[in-house]
Amino acid sequence: MTQFLIETSWLIPVYGLAGVIATLPWSTGWVRRTGPRPAVYINILMTAIAFIHGSLVFRGIWNSGSQELTLTWFQAADLRLSLALDLSVVNLGALELITGLSLLAQLFALGYLEKDWALARFFALMGFFEAAMGGVVMSSSLFLAYSLLEMLTLSTYLLVGFWYAQPLVVTAARDAFLTKRIGDVLLLMGVVALSALVGSLEFNDLYEWVKDPQLSPWAATLLGLALIAGPTGKCAQFPLHLWLDEAMEGPNPASILRNSVVVTCGAYVLIRLQPIVALSPVALSTLVVIGTITAIGASLVAIAQIDIKRTFSYSTSAYLGLVFIAVGIEWPGVALMILLTHAIAKALLFMSAGSVILTTNSQDLTEMGGLWSKMPATTIAYVTASLGMVGLLPLGCFWGYHLGIDFLWEDSPALVVVFLTVNFLTALNLMRVFRLIFLGAAQPKTRRAPEVAWPMAVPMVFLTVFTLLVPLILNRLYLLPPWEYVNIPALMLLVTSGLAGVVLGALIPISKTLARSLQRPVRIVQDLLAYDFYTERLYRYTVVWLVERISWASSWFDRYVVDGLVNTVGLVSLLGGESLKYSISGRSQGYLLTIVVGVSLLGLLMTWTMW
Amino acid sequence: MTNTLPKPQSSVHPLQSFIDRLLRGEAMLPHSPTNLLEVVGILKSYGMVLDAYSKNLIYIAEEQFLVLFPFFKYFNGEVSFAKLLKHWNHDRINYEYAEYCMRTMLWHGGGGLDAYLDSPEFKAACEVAVQAKIKTNLPLRALHRLFPEFLPEQVRQSAYYSGLGQFWTVMAEIFLTLSDRYDNGEIPDIPAVVKYIKDGLVAAANVPITYSVTISGQKFDIIPDSLGLTFLPDTAIPYVEAVFFRGTPFWGTVSYNAQAQQISPDQSRFTYGALYADPLPTGGVGIPPTLLMQDMRHFLPDYLHDYYRQGLRGEDDLHVQITQSFQKSMFCVTSAALQGLLPHSAETTVPDEQAANQAFLASWMDRLMTSRIHVVQLSDR
Amino acid sequence: MMLSALILIPLAGAIVTSLWPQEWPADRIRKIALAAQGISLIWVGWLATQYNITLPGMQFVSSLAWIESLGLTYRLGLDGLSLPLLFVNSLLGAIAVYSSPVTIRRPRLYFSLMLVISSAVAGAFLAQNLLLFFIFYELELIPLYLLIAIWGGARRGYAATKFLIYTAISGILILGGFLGLVWLSGASTFDYDPGFAQTLTLVEQSVLLVALLIGFGIKIPLFPFHTWLPDAHVEASTPISVLLAGVLLKLGTYGLVRFGLQLFPAAWSEFAPWLAGWAVVSVLYGSFAAIAQRDMKKMVAYSSIGHMGYVLLATAADTPLSILGTVMQMVSHGLISGLLFLLVGVVYAKTGTRDLTVLRGLLNPERGLPIVGSLMILGVMASAGIPGMVGFISEFVVFRGSFLAFPAQTLLCMIGSGLTAVYFLLLVNRAFFGRLAIRPPSDAVEPDLNLPRVSWSDRVPAVVLAIVIVALGLQPVWLSRWSEATIVALRSPIVELAEASTPAVLCETSTTFPCAL
Repeated sequence: MTQFLIETSWLIPVYGLAGVIATLPWSTGWVRRTGPRPAVYINILMTAIAFIHGSLVFRGIWNSGSQELTLTWFQAADLRLSLALDLSVVNLGALELITGLSLLAQLFALGYLEKDWALARFFALMGFFEAAMGGVVMSSSLFLAYSLLEMLTLSTYLLVGFWYAQPLVVTAARDAFLTKRIGDVLLLMGVVALSALVGSLEFNDLYEWVKDPQLSPWAATLLGLALIAGPTGKCAQFPLHLWLDEAMEGPNPASILRNSVVVTCGAYVLIRLQPIVALSPVALSTLVVIGTITAIGASLVAIAQIDIKRTFSYSTSAYLGLVFIAVGIEWPGVALMILLTHAIAKALLFMSAGSVILTTNSQDLTEMGGLWSKMPATTIAYVTASLGMVGLLPLGCFWGYHLGIDFLWEDSPALVVVFLTVNFLTALNLMRVFRLIFLGAAQPKTRRAPEVAWPMAVPMVFLTVFTLLVPLILNRLYLLPPWEYVNIPALMLLVTSGLAGVVLGALIPISKTLARSLQRPVRIVQDLLAYDFYTERLYRYTVVWLVERISWASSWFDRYVVDGLVNTVGLVSLLGGESLKYSISGRSQGYLLTIVVGVSLLGLLMTWTMW
Repeated sequence: MTNTLPKPQSSVHPLQSFIDRLLRGEAMLPHSPTNLLEVVGILKSYGMVLDAYSKNLIYIAEEQFLVLFPFFKYFNGEVSFAKLLKHWNHDRINYEYAEYCMRTMLWHGGGGLDAYLDSPEFKAACEVAVQAKIKTNLPLRALHRLFPEFLPEQVRQSAYYSGLGQFWTVMAEIFLTLSDRYDNGEIPDIPAVVKYIKDGLVAAANVPITYSVTISGQKFDIIPDSLGLTFLPDTAIPYVEAVFFRGTPFWGTVSYNAQAQQISPDQSRFTYGALYADPLPTGGVGIPPTLLMQDMRHFLPDYLHDYYRQGLRGEDDLHVQITQSFQKSMFCVTSAALQGLLPHSAETTVPDEQAANQAFLASWMDRLMTSRIHVVQLSDR
Repeated sequence: MMLSALILIPLAGAIVTSLWPQEWPADRIRKIALAAQGISLIWVGWLATQYNITLPGMQFVSSLAWIESLGLTYRLGLDGLSLPLLFVNSLLGAIAVYSSPVTIRRPRLYFSLMLVISSAVAGAFLAQNLLLFFIFYELELIPLYLLIAIWGGARRGYAATKFLIYTAISGILILGGFLGLVWLSGASTFDYDPGFAQTLTLVEQSVLLVALLIGFGIKIPLFPFHTWLPDAHVEASTPISVLLAGVLLKLGTYGLVRFGLQLFPAAWSEFAPWLAGWAVVSVLYGSFAAIAQRDMKKMVAYSSIGHMGYVLLATAADTPLSILGTVMQMVSHGLISGLLFLLVGVVYAKTGTRDLTVLRGLLNPERGLPIVGSLMILGVMASAGIPGMVGFISEFVVFRGSFLAFPAQTLLCMIGSGLTAVYFLLLVNRAFFGRLAIRPPSDAVEPDLNLPRVSWSDRVPAVVLAIVIVALGLQPVWLSRWSEATIVALRSPIVELAEASTPAVLCETSTTFPCAL
C-alpha cells in the first residue's frame, strides 16, 4: 500500500490541477442558476487529499529512504527531457508545508472572500498555484523545476490580477509578471546553456558534471549569474523585489501563500542549484551581496510602511535575503531552516492581517487601534506569529537565526551582524505594528470590530497552535541542536537583538494622525524608506524608459525609414496609389489576374529560350 | 430652530430640478412605462429576497446568540440532509449579503441603536446575558476575562442582526404589497410608487425596535422596549446612510493600498453605496452586491424577466440589468425617504418652512452630485 | 494520388463553389467550403496514419511528366518537414472558413479564393520539383491579393498592392535562384535533388543563396523586408489574417530550410553566422516595434516578425535539434498567431475598435468578452513561451539546438522571448483589465456600455486552436515524432561530422563557448 502511494506520488500536484478542471463549469459561467461554492468545496477537498497523500508518502519515505520517479517526457535528437521527481524527506516535508498551508489558506479564503461571486476562479487559481509549487519542490530535474517556476509566474499573475477591474491591480499584475519574467528569461538562458553543455537536466547528472565541468571562469560566472537570476525574481530580492509590494493588491489568502511558500519555492530551486552556482565564486558572492542588501534594505523599508500587508511583505523579502546569504556561503541547511520556520510564521501573520482588513475595511495602519480586546483570535495569532518571526523566544525563526549565526560565527562575523540587524529591525517593526493595530484608542474604522467568523478563525487558531508547536516538531525531526552544542554567546546576542527591537519598538513615538514626521531630515529618510528607496522611479527612468525609447525608435524607423524608403522608391505609390485604386471595385480583378499570370508566363518563356 | 437656517442662496443648486421634483411629490427617477415596470418588478423580487434575509437575520440574532461555530446559521433551524445537499450545491439564498449589509451598518454606526450600544445600560444588559450564556463554558469564561470586549462586541453585532432584520421585515412587506397593488392596476406611474413607499415608511415610523434572547429558558432583553428605539430614526435612516450612500469600497474596484490613499480616512465621505454604484462590473470579481442580484434573479416577475431577455445580450448580462433596475428603484426609495423626512409638509406656503425644506433637500442633493442620478435619467439601458 | 488529393480536394471545392450554375445561399457555399477543408484535414490525418515515421526520405512520391522540355514534372512527396505544415494548413484553412461570416459579400468568390489558397499552399509543401514549387508559390499570391483588396479594411488597396509587389519580387528572386541553379549545375530537370549544387563553386552558390534568402526573407518576413506584413494584416479581414500568419508565412521558412539550407549547404555554413545575426536583428526589431504599437492587430503582426526570426536562427544553426526546432516553431507559431488573430477579430467585431488606447476591461463577465479574454490570456502566454503550451517547447528546442552553434545570438534571441511577454502583457492588461470601455473616457453622461452578444460560434475556432496548443504543449512528442527521422537525414554533410559527437565531444566544444560569447 505504501509503495503504491509512493509510486503514485506524482498525483499530488495533479490533484490540484484536477480541482482546477473540475471548477470550469462554474468559473466559465456555465452554471448560472446556482452559485460557485461547489467548485470551492471540490478544490478544498482536492487539497486535503493531496495533503493526506503527501503525509502518507512522507511516512513511507521516512522509513524506506529516498526514491526517484522518472518519466521521459520528450526526446528528440540529442535532447532528452524528463519529468523526474525526487521523493526525499526534505522534499516531501516542503510539499507537506505547501499543501498544508494551501489547505489552511483556502479555508481562510472561504470566509475572507465569502461575498465574492468569482470564488470558483479564485479557488481554481489556488489549485493551480498549489500544483505548481508542489511540483517545484518535488522535481529532481531542472527542466521540470524551471517549467513549474514559470507556471508559478503565470499563476501569480493571474492571482494578483484576480480583481482585474481594480486600477492598481492592472499595473500590479503586469509588474509582477514582467519582473519575474526578467528573472525567468535569465534562468532559461542558464537552463539552455546547461542543457547544451551537460546533455541532461536532471539534478543528479548536473551534480556529476559539476565535478569536472571544463568551463572557463567567465563562462562559469555568467552561468552562475543566470541561474541565480530566476530565484532573485521569485524571492523578491533586490533589484527584482518591487513586484511583491505591488502584488499585495491581490486577495489576502493568496498573499498568505505568496509570502510564505511561493517565495520558498524560488529559494528551494536556488538551493538545488547551489552546487552549480558554486562553480563561480563571483556568483556566490553576488548571492551574499544581494541577500545582504535586501535583508537590511527591506527591513528598513518595512518600518516605514503604513500599509499592513506591505510592511509584512517587505519583511518577507528581508528573510529571503537571509536565505540568499545562507546559500551564498554554502550552508543550505541554514537556508532550509529559515525557509521552513519563516513560512509558517509569515502565513500566520498574514492571516491575522487578513482578519484585521476584513473587519476594519482598511489596510492603513494609521487608521487603526484598540483591537486587542475585541479580537482575541486575531491578537493571539499576531503575537504568536511575531514571536515565531523573531529570535527572542525559542519559537520557529529563533532556531533559523541561531543556526545561521552559529555557522557564521567563525567565518564571517560581518554576516552575523546582518542576521542580528534583521532580527532587531523585524522585532522593532512587529512591535510598532502591534501598537498601531491592537493597542491605543479605537479609531472610527476600528470602533466596531467583532472578531471574524469561524471559517477564518479556525485556520488561524489552528496555525497559531501549530506555530507554537514548531520547536517540538523540529525536535522530533532531529533538527534542533543538542543542548551542549548551543553557542551561548550567539544565543545571548540573538535574544538581546530581539529584545532591543521589541523595547525600542515599544518606545518610539508613533503618531496616528500624522504619518509623516514634521522634521525635515526625518521626513526625507521616512519618505525614502516608505517609497522603497524610490526603486520604482529608478526603474521608470532606466529600464522602462530605455525599452520605451527603443520601441518608439524602432516603430518610428519602421514607419518613416524602412517603409518610407519603399514608398518613395515609388513602386508602391506609383502602382498602388493611383492606377490600382479601381481594383477595389472588383471589376479589374480579371485584369490584374491576367497581368500576374502574364508576368509569370513571360518568365517561363524567357527561361525556355535559355534551354 | 428653522429660523437659524440660512435663506436659500441666490445661486440655484445644480440639482434644483430634482429638489423641485421631490417637493412636487415626484421621484428623482423620471416616469416612463419601462421605468415603472423595472422598478415595481425589481422591488417585488427585492421584497421576496428581503423577506428571506430578514427571517434569517432574526433567526441568527435570536437562536445563534454567541454560538461560536454556527455551522447551520443559514438553515433557519431546519437541518435536513436534502437541505444540506442543496446548501452544498450553493442552490440557496446568499445570506452572506445580508450579513454584509449588517456589518456595513454596524461599522458606519449612526442613529439611536449605535449610541445605545456604547452606553453603560447596554454594557450591563449585555454582561448579564453573556454570563448566562457562558456559565458552563470554562474556556470561554477565561477568554472573556482576558479579552473583556470580545463577547460584548459579538452581542453588538447580534443587536444589529436583529435591528436590520426588523427593518427589512417592514420593507419587504411594503415592497410586496406595492407589487400586489401594481398587479391590480393601482400603481399607474413612478410618483405613485414613491407615494406608496413614503406612506409605508411614515406608517411604520414608530414601530419599536427591540431585541431579546432566550438562554436556557430565561429571557434577556438586549434592546429593551423601554429604550424607545423606533423604526425610522434608529434603523431606516442609518441603513440608508450606510448602504445607499456610504457603503464600503469594493475590492474589485478600489485599491485598499494605504499609500495610494484611494479610500477616504473619513467614513462620512464614502460614496460606495447603492446610489453611486457602477452596474457594469456586477457579476464580476470583488463586487458583493452581485450576491443580491443573484438572489433576486430567482424571484423576477415574468414581465420583468421578459423585458431583460429582450436586451442586447439577453440573459448573459442579467446581473447588470438587475443592478440597473435596482439602482433606479433605490432612487425611488430614497425619494420616498427624503419626502418622508422633510422637516415640513411639501405643500407648505410658509416661506420659512419652504426654505427649510429647500435647505434640507439641498444638503442631500450635495451628496448626490457624484451619484448615478444623471445616468438613471437616460432612457436607454 | 494520395498526395494530389490534398491539392485537388480544396480545388474541387473551389470549382464547385465558384462555377455551380445555380444560385446558392451564402450559408450553403460556406458549408461546402468547410466540408472541403474538413475532408482535407481528415485526409492529412489519414496520411499521417499511413506515414512511416522511421523512414527519413520522401514518402508517397508520385511523379507525372508535365512539360518535359521545361524540366517541369508534377512530382510530389511527403516527408517529416512537410507533414506537420500540411496539418496546420488544413486546420487553419478549415478554421478560416468557419470563422468567415455567413453574411459576407460575394460569398462564391470569397470562399473559392480561400480554397485555392489552401490548395496552392498544400501543393507548395508537397512539390518536389523546383518549378512546380514556384508555380504553387505564385498561385497562392493572387487569391490572397484579391481577398485583401476586396474584403479588406479602409486602406485595402494600398495594402494589397504592397503585398502583391513584395511577394512578386520575392517570386522573381526565387525563380531566378532556381533557374540559375539548374542552369549552372547543368541539370536537365528541375526535380528536387539536395545534391544539385555540389558542382557549383562557392561564389555561385552564394549568389544563388542570396537570391533565395531575400526571396524567402520577404515572405517570412525578415527585417527589412517586412513592412508589407503589418499593413496587409491590418487591412485583411480576420480569417485572411489567420491564413496569412498561420500558413502563408510558413512558405518562406519552409523554403529556407528546404531550398536554402539543403541545396546550398556549403554556402549556407559560410553565411550561417550572418544569418544568425540577421535573426537577432529581426527578432529584436519585431519585438521592440510591437511594444510601440497601439493597434492590437499590428502588435500581433509585429510579434510574427519577431517569432519567425527564431526559425531563421535555428536554420542558421543547422543542428538536428535546431532543424527540428524550425518545424516545431513553424507549427506553434502558426497555431498561436492563428489563435491571436482570431481573438483580435472577435474583439474588433464586437467593439468596433482594436485601439489599445481606448479598449479597457473586456474581461467583464457580463457585458465584456470574458471567455475570449481568457483565451487571449492563454494565447499570449503561449506566445510568450510559458510551459504547458506548444510555444515553450518549440522555443526551447530552437534555443537549445542553436546554443552551441551561436551562443551569443541565441541568448539575444531569448531576450526577444522576454520582450514578447512585455508587449503581450501590455495588450492584455490594457484591453482586458480595468473597467469596461471602448471609447475614451468623457464627462458626458452616457448609458452603461453594452456590447453585442458573443455566440459560441465566435469562440469555437479559438477553443479548438487553444486545445491543440495545450495538447501539443503537454505532449510535444505528438508534434516532433513526424519530423525526427527526416531531419536527421536532412542534415547537410558538413555539419554531420560535428553532429555525430558524443556528449564528451560536446563538452569539448563547450570550452569554446565563452570565446564565442
